[in-house]
Amino acid sequence: MEENAIVFYIGPIGITAIVITTWGIMLVLGVLSWFVTRSLSLKPGSLQTALEGIVSTMEAGIAAVLPGQARQLLPFIATLWIYIVIANLTGLIPQLHSPTGNLSVTAGLAILVFLSVHWFGIRQSGMRYFKHYLSPTPLLLPFHLISEVTRTIALAVRLFGNIMSLELVALLVLLVAGLLVPIPLLMLHIVEALVQAYIFGMLALIYVAGAMQSQQSEKGKQL
Amino acid sequence: MDFDWTTFLLEIINFLILIWILKRFLYQPVLDIIDERRTGIDQALADAKRIEEEAKALKQKNEQFLVEWENEKETAHAQLVAELAELRERKLAEITQKIDEETERRRILDERCRCDYEKMIEEKAIAQGVAFASKLLTRVATPELETHLFELLIEDLSSLNEADKRAIAEAAAAPAAQIIVQSAFPLADRHREALSDALSGLVNKKTAIEFQCDETLLAGIHMTIGPWVLHANLRDELKFFSKPLAQAEQEE
Repeated sequence: MEENAIVFYIGPIGITAIVITTWGIMLVLGVLSWFVTRSLSLKPGSLQTALEGIVSTMEAGIAAVLPGQARQLLPFIATLWIYIVIANLTGLIPQLHSPTGNLSVTAGLAILVFLSVHWFGIRQSGMRYFKHYLSPTPLLLPFHLISEVTRTIALAVRLFGNIMSLELVALLVLLVAGLLVPIPLLMLHIVEALVQAYIFGMLALIYVAGAMQSQQSEKGKQL
Repeated sequence: MDFDWTTFLLEIINFLILIWILKRFLYQPVLDIIDERRTGIDQALADAKRIEEEAKALKQKNEQFLVEWENEKETAHAQLVAELAELRERKLAEITQKIDEETERRRILDERCRCDYEKMIEEKAIAQGVAFASKLLTRVATPELETHLFELLIEDLSSLNEADKRAIAEAAAAPAAQIIVQSAFPLADRHREALSDALSGLVNKKTAIEFQCDETLLAGIHMTIGPWVLHANLRDELKFFSKPLAQAEQEE
């Protein structure tokens, strides 16, 4: 199925296969979340232990970068990790494409990271947050702005390029070498999916942490 | 590599919805249960710490109690030792006193035994002396000695004090009064007259005298005036000689 082919319309809005895949991922994640958390207890079973381990690990990872504010960032960063991993691995399912292999999706995620950086920065420091663009000298403002744009584009293109190339390579190898040959490449796909998700989420976390700590470093310099 | 703005916008909305879904159904419940467990663990740790503190306090209290108990024990032990020492001293004093009393009693007993022995020896000596004197006086008992003793009696009668004289006179004046004069040898008439005169002078009237002979007197006179006995003879003198010891015993 063509990724950007419109499957159906909701009013004037054309719904593509990628959006439907994303909805499917959301539905699966929503149902799974509801199912595994409907009967949590203080004495956890193996499933609950694994679930708590995953959430705690993500929280600890965020806390390692931004101590004391892990709970605030957990929903955004953890959802990035989970969604991108699942979206990356979706490409392994026959007849489905990874949503992250589409530039519109990765650009949307990158724009969300771009906006969340400023959102968390303003929440943390108010409008003084923007002062860091003038630091250490206002002459660097253009470079700061270029940096903001380029790192967002890089975020989107990095994920898109890696996942798309993986799928293309797997497809080419499948076409050239037969049915069983692409399997090692599919194993690489799993590793790459995890690594790219980690990189995207970690970069987002670092950007947000930089924004939240920018005013603190300004205060530190003044002191 | 087509870029679709609709997909771009829908993806943004989808992701925001996914954030809400996962926050609502995954992160929040899991974090809540983790927090609840952590709170329980913290509570258990706090309880354990509190219990530990209480245990330490109890241990300290117990140690203090043991120290106090040890002090009380030592005090009681010291008091007991003091009481035992006092009791020992008292018992020792009592025993010493008893020993002293026993020693004194023994000494008195020994003294008494010694006195008894001395007395026995003395009595024996006196008895021997009396026997010796009796034997000796028996051999020297002659009418001449009796005469001499008679003279001594007359002399003694004249030298009686007034109270004795009055008592003897009253005894002789009694209706049933009888004056008996015994001698070892028959008295000569002159002696009987002298005696009668002496007695008449003593009782201020003429009285009848019965004269008797009694050889057991050995020598000398034995005279009875009512309840009064006047004597000057060897037998009574020997008796008198041996009597003091018996009288001394009776006096003791």
